[in-house]
Amino acid sequence: MTSPLKLTVRTADQTRKAEIALDPGSTGGQVVQAAVDNWALPKDTDYTLVNVTTGQALSPAESLDASKVRPGDVLEVQPVLVAG
Amino acid sequence: MASADRYDRLARIDGFPLERVRSARFAVIGAGAVGNELVKNLALLGSGTIDVFDFDRIESHNLTRSVFFREADVGQWKATVLADRASAVDPSCAVRGFVGDFRDTLRLRDLAGYDAAFACVDNLEARIALSQMCRLMTTPLVNTGVDSRFVSVEVFPFGVADDNACYECHLPESAYARLAERYSCGWLRKRAWAAQVVPTSPITASIAGAHAAAAALALVGGGSPSNASRLLVDAGSGRSNRVDLPRESRCAGCAGAPDRPPLIFARRSVHALLGGDLLPPGAELRLSDPVIAGGGCAQCGTGIGDAYVLKRASRFDDMLSVCPRCQVRSMRVEIRDLFVARELLADHVQHAGRALDTRFVLADTAQGTLCIELEDDIP
Repeated sequence: MTSPLKLTVRTADQTRKAEIALDPGSTGGQVVQAAVDNWALPKDTDYTLVNVTTGQALSPAESLDASKVRPGDVLEVQPVLVAG
Repeated sequence: MASADRYDRLARIDGFPLERVRSARFAVIGAGAVGNELVKNLALLGSGTIDVFDFDRIESHNLTRSVFFREADVGQWKATVLADRASAVDPSCAVRGFVGDFRDTLRLRDLAGYDAAFACVDNLEARIALSQMCRLMTTPLVNTGVDSRFVSVEVFPFGVADDNACYECHLPESAYARLAERYSCGWLRKRAWAAQVVPTSPITASIAGAHAAAAALALVGGGSPSNASRLLVDAGSGRSNRVDLPRESRCAGCAGAPDRPPLIFARRSVHALLGGDLLPPGAELRLSDPVIAGGGCAQCGTGIGDAYVLKRASRFDDMLSVCPRCQVRSMRVEIRDLFVARELLADHVQHAGRALDTRFVLADTAQGTLCIELEDDIP
């Protein structure tokens, strides 16, 4: 069994932040959904996940492991902005 | 003709690509708050040509965020007012306004001639459409978005390097689900659907316009990174970060799609497209806009009516699913964006003279993919 990844997940305004251990098989989309649910983020917005440590956006469908997320990385949940 | 002195302070900036900017051609899609700010910056920089596309009229609530709009402009077309006012900033800039949905007013062949296109629109659907067009024509795309606190500016340098991510590569599934809420029966607009109003501010619009203009300078000056990237600015705290956007192999928008297929033109009729030697009967056709392929009432069998067949589905709302005879939603409407050429030619011979109401067609043949732009005015 693969050991959990210890990471920091936060919102883009950094008002919410958690140090958590995640299954490396979790997808970016699952991390976002957990953040939306646990932090009661506005549900009328869509979100993406970025790894601010490496400067890479994470694919919603790809696992953290496949996205080369490493222990200690900081993941940020960012809103998809559609207004102009 | 502007005097050289006008650009003196810009020319003194180390590495400022003045000559390239003076000859640059930019397309700005959306003349709202961010569009105003961006066009202001592009005009101040002395850009050669700025074409502004918007279908909408100025409303009172636009006046708190749109730098060029005035009280007396309420009710006027955004694109023409913005173009007129920006022309006054630097009369040597050619600033033109195009009124209408850019999907109808911006042809692929023209898009290919811009140094960059800017998405300053207010909805996801338009962003997706513009990304697809820019990717096909390998025109660099700068996508801007704001709310009341955050600003995002994404650069997709199509044409600068191969294998770029597109706008859809990092769209979450929830975005498509939200998009689908606007439609029923596939692509018929829901009559009762109301657009979400996102609060925005002149501060976030201004930041977006500044970073988008900086991206324009980098693109024409050759200093743009060759991979797609997103800058997110938190206007509340002043923090920002930039991330790379790698191409997603399972992307709904670009996986398996060709980059810059040969572009040709045909009249907007089934006969012109398929009646000659242009395409073999086995060619697979992907339409840019889904069309109504047929349909009928599940209760009484009344057909949908020839007048609707091959018309763009997005032109209709879900009232089309109401059978005129039964007066209930019993009409099954077949909407498609994929055809094999022979289907239109043989199975739908009666459609031969009919206009195919879609903007362009990607035709897969044994020789490769062709992009065929359909036009009304080809002799």
